[in-house]
Amino acid sequence: MSSHRLSTGGQIDRARSVKFTFDGKALTGHPGDTLASALLANGIQLVGRSFKYHRPRGILTAGAAEPNALVTTGTGGRTEANTRATMIELHDGLNARSQNRWPSLGFDIGAVNGLLSPFLSAGFYYKTFMWPAGFWEKVYEPLIRKAAGLGKASYEADPDSYEKCWAHCDLLVIGAGPSGLAAALTAGRAGARVLLADEGFAFGGTLLTDRDARLSAMLAELEALPNVQCLPRTTVIGWYDDNVFGAVERVQKHVAEPDPGQPVERLWRIIAKQAILASGAEERPLVFGGNDIPGVMMAGAMRSYLNRQAVAPGKRVAVFTTNNAGYRTAADLEAAGVDVAAIVDPRATNEPGWNGKAKVLTNACIVDALGGKSVSGVSIAGASGVQRFEADAVAMSGGWSPVIHLACHRGAKPVWSDTHAAFLAPERQEGLSLAGAAAGLWSTEACLSDGSRKAAEALQLLGFAKVEPAFAEADAAQPAATPFWFAKGSKGKAFVDYQNDVNLKDLGLAVREGYGDVELAKRYTTNGMATDQGKLSNINAIGILAEARGVSPADVGTTTFRPFYTPVSFGALTGASRGKHFQPVRKSPLHDWAKKNGATFVETGLWYRAAWFPRAGETTWRESVDREVLNIRKNAGICDVSTLGKIEIFGRDAATFLDRVYCNGFAKLPVGKARYGIMLREDGMIYDDGTTSRFSDDHFFMTTTTALAAGVLTHLEFCAQTLWPELEVHFASSTDQWAQMAVAGPKSRAILSEIVDEDISDAAFPFMSARTVSLFGGKLEGRLFRISFSGELAYELGVPAGYGESVADAIMQTGEKHGICAYGAEALGVMRIEKGHVTHAEINGTVTPGDLGFGRMVSTTKPDFIGKVMLAREGMQASDRPRLVGVKPLDPKASFRTGSHILSDGAAATLENDQGYVTSSCYSPNLGHTIGLALIKNGPERIGEKVMIWNGLRNEFTDGVICSPVFIDPENEKLHA
Amino acid sequence: MASLITCPHCGQRPKEEFTIKGDAGLARPAPDAGADVWYDYVYLRDNPKGLHKEYWHHSSGCRRWLIVERDTVTHKVHSVSDAALAKLGGAA
Amino acid sequence: MPDLPTLRPALAGEPALDSTTIALQALPEGHLLQIMGATERAVVEAAIAAAGLEGSDVREAGYRQWYVVGDKQLSSKTLRELTSALPAGTFLSDQSHGRVRIRLSGPHATKLLSTGTAVDLHDAAFPEGRSAITLFGHLSVHLTRKSAAGFELIVLRSFAEALYEELHAHAA
Ligand SMILES: [Zn+2]
Repeated sequence: MSSHRLSTGGQIDRARSVKFTFDGKALTGHPGDTLASALLANGIQLVGRSFKYHRPRGILTAGAAEPNALVTTGTGGRTEANTRATMIELHDGLNARSQNRWPSLGFDIGAVNGLLSPFLSAGFYYKTFMWPAGFWEKVYEPLIRKAAGLGKASYEADPDSYEKCWAHCDLLVIGAGPSGLAAALTAGRAGARVLLADEGFAFGGTLLTDRDARLSAMLAELEALPNVQCLPRTTVIGWYDDNVFGAVERVQKHVAEPDPGQPVERLWRIIAKQAILASGAEERPLVFGGNDIPGVMMAGAMRSYLNRQAVAPGKRVAVFTTNNAGYRTAADLEAAGVDVAAIVDPRATNEPGWNGKAKVLTNACIVDALGGKSVSGVSIAGASGVQRFEADAVAMSGGWSPVIHLACHRGAKPVWSDTHAAFLAPERQEGLSLAGAAAGLWSTEACLSDGSRKAAEALQLLGFAKVEPAFAEADAAQPAATPFWFAKGSKGKAFVDYQNDVNLKDLGLAVREGYGDVELAKRYTTNGMATDQGKLSNINAIGILAEARGVSPADVGTTTFRPFYTPVSFGALTGASRGKHFQPVRKSPLHDWAKKNGATFVETGLWYRAAWFPRAGETTWRESVDREVLNIRKNAGICDVSTLGKIEIFGRDAATFLDRVYCNGFAKLPVGKARYGIMLREDGMIYDDGTTSRFSDDHFFMTTTTALAAGVLTHLEFCAQTLWPELEVHFASSTDQWAQMAVAGPKSRAILSEIVDEDISDAAFPFMSARTVSLFGGKLEGRLFRISFSGELAYELGVPAGYGESVADAIMQTGEKHGICAYGAEALGVMRIEKGHVTHAEINGTVTPGDLGFGRMVSTTKPDFIGKVMLAREGMQASDRPRLVGVKPLDPKASFRTGSHILSDGAAATLENDQGYVTSSCYSPNLGHTIGLALIKNGPERIGEKVMIWNGLRNEFTDGVICSPVFIDPENEKLHA
Repeated sequence: MASLITCPHCGQRPKEEFTIKGDAGLARPAPDAGADVWYDYVYLRDNPKGLHKEYWHHSSGCRRWLIVERDTVTHKVHSVSDAALAKLGGAA
Repeated sequence: MPDLPTLRPALAGEPALDSTTIALQALPEGHLLQIMGATERAVVEAAIAAAGLEGSDVREAGYRQWYVVGDKQLSSKTLRELTSALPAGTFLSDQSHGRVRIRLSGPHATKLLSTGTAVDLHDAAFPEGRSAITLFGHLSVHLTRKSAAGFELIVLRSFAEALYEELHAHAA
């Protein structure tokens, strides 16, 4: 292994060296190197093994389309598999490993797959599926899983951070080659907001390879323009509706130790008024035997390594080309002192103007590259038969394919051009135009001119007056291209899709077996299905299919281009939404009060709610919950109910509006009173329930369940704005304005009387009262409601949220002598089941008011309300609908679970015999046994009936009896105390 | 789907700020309109190819219900108006 | 009777941040009033003047909606005066506790906001005094430009901590 670095030249910083490792071996390169160029400079050509046959593979390209040189980089949580060595900027400490080899890259047992290749040809997967299933499972699948594949992902967490951001611009320029730079300069000088993105770390594109003297002045000018933002290392990955582009910036992928204050990658969403796609063109590989042997390289890539990183690909290079690119490479190789063995050109005449040393063989083809892990020579078939040339590298160029992926992300179809021998995208679409090589222009001068013109056009559409193109019009005339799909007479495997190991014969087989359609051939052969998505292979596959079918590539067509243009890390897509910031936490104003009282919290949606308040000595949650429930029914308790949705409803027509959204009447609700309301969906099923109070003629206050707080507000807005816009009604969500506390239990009045200034006796403040009250001797105002979910004498007190903790403290303090305790959502749940109150466990989207025993609440006098008409349907009123009842076990020591189904006594446990199910259940510490609410067919008519409570998942059977859903205080004596 | 909606009150915003409800061409029938009309209104929806008017709620913005007319094939948004103002015949 | 209840600001425990690039701080929980139904800013300004609140800031908050914002805590009496100063068809909802104000400023403020909101914050598109209700990450916020590099965010109290900590984390 010797150095392939030339002694002079290149755009690298020779004064500094960069240390890195490849497969554990310590190597050095220079700033300005990619991993690929540094490996080549170190004489390393073999960098990976192929997917299926484990063939030795080298570096084919110098860019994003690289199919072969896939490596794993980083260690631990920073491990990244399948990264392209051609895109990795060399940096100190870079740790890269080859993939898909065992035991070593040089000696790989899997290469015997090559000997099995008759069995691994196109359609292999489909054919083996048809063999006896056992054969597949026991023999083939394990074998393939072990042998095939790419890199391995890490199981460790990624220690780095990622970010997403939005950006806006007048003009987005994608690609900073000659066309893109000209476009950015034109727009930048005109004062437009310009974003210029390029996937490489250095701007310039082919100007870099060409060592064009104009480049540095162009870059300096762009850098100085404050309205131009340059985004190097940024790949635009998708074009979306309304001219939104996605892009990934690799912010810190090129540094040894990322700054933790900065993301390693940033996902951009760019809203561009206009965009120019100046993504250039991809050089096309040639299909001949052994075209995958390390040392065979794209001619343009070879020239790029030579001119940008001063790396010689070998000592003697054979050039196989259908166009001037191969000649340009040959000229630069010779200028750098590298021998060119021959220029092999399948065309009848050679490129005009060639005056180099190398001999040109026209009407000739390289039919085979020879060698194993490196090239030793080539077989050339020409007029004088097949001759062998010594060579240690091969440069190939089959012409150019415009990189049109983004232009086709929104449905535009590529169109075959005979003169370009390539597929082109529409040059101008709304918001996006193609410039330069992406539009099929091959010369630098034509690209500079086209980029300037397209930018001027785009700005004129935005109303910029008189935009001066940065570069003058140039002659765009260019010779017609000659398509060349494959060399005939190759002995070795001629690869079309390198990454998926699809070769020429596979495509022929696909056509013979009836899968010649481009979409079918793709799936049959897997051509174009690898991580590179066929960037190099699709065009040759189409040409080969066309030739085999005897049609034009236009008739074969292309597969569909979809985002993303290149693979995107999950980190970039996730952005900052991970760990603590995965989703926001929503905290009640009484959160800290609950916390200092020892609450155990439960997540309900985004809210954290106090579930119970364990005390010393309590070892299970049930002990805490039972104590809380018993204490509330005996003394009193205080519970945070701030998470319930709260909506202020204002307006002259607020009462009319409420009458239309609730199924029961609200228009006559007196000021100072609350009423339980049921809201239906238009199909007649219950949507949500809650209490609504009236504070003045034109001001109501609605509460919703916690779960549907947002949904109800949206529903009200929908009704007010789209159904009845003529009503004057306004909504303000006040969920967050109020710290709301339920104070329940026989002692609740005594406790609150010490805080509330007004008389709250039953006479002065009866059940369902709702008023603004004065607190602490006039120091604070709050809202007091005489409502009860627990069935006890109870109040809800709302105070401005910032005072919540202080007021809750005061209630605990005054309540101490009355035996008050804090209670959580679990105790609240037990008490409401004991009282037969429903929640969304019962309001499950399939119940009517009648099903829950609210049938008589539904207004018969109101002309209209949401759900009225559909609720009147026969089936909605049928008596055998599942309706709300209670269930309890026959034996008080027995229990059952929520979700269990109800069977008639003695009936077999089958779906047909299902009578309903338990919607809620709990242990009632007041009754000393399990109780449940259930929706049972004909339920209320079956009270007293013995049933079987069946849990099919756990195969549990409990003898039970149907009972009233109200287990505690059916006469409401406590409530009205 | 569109990526951006230009709210008549808030300006151009990404689709993440909106919630879509569906066909804005449906008129809520009168209570006595008959079972078939109500059945259509509650349950039956067209799935048009081409222009379609939908209700979009600017749920993370001004919270107004909008009528968005868009092309289900090209995804192009043709117009956005405030639903209430459109129905009242006023200007947004 | 227990003592006078004390106000506990939603972001009481959150540290302010003041670096050369970003400053972040919770603003005093003074007053924040939601006015509905007023068609013109002038109507709202006249009402707040009548109630003696000239120092308050009036901000657009959606179609015919406004926020009246200031550092001073208002008594129930003042609120009633302001309510009665509003013309018919205009309503007031006190959100002084329901929403929390956060100030974000510094040369990197725009960049930080762009990680969450799609509103174009370029000076020309979002000048001083302009407000927008928008999604910041997962949360709906009311955003106002107060100066070239100074912004104020208004967020629901229950999400204030989550938003503040997210901003703090990304400002570092
Ligand atoms: Zn809006």
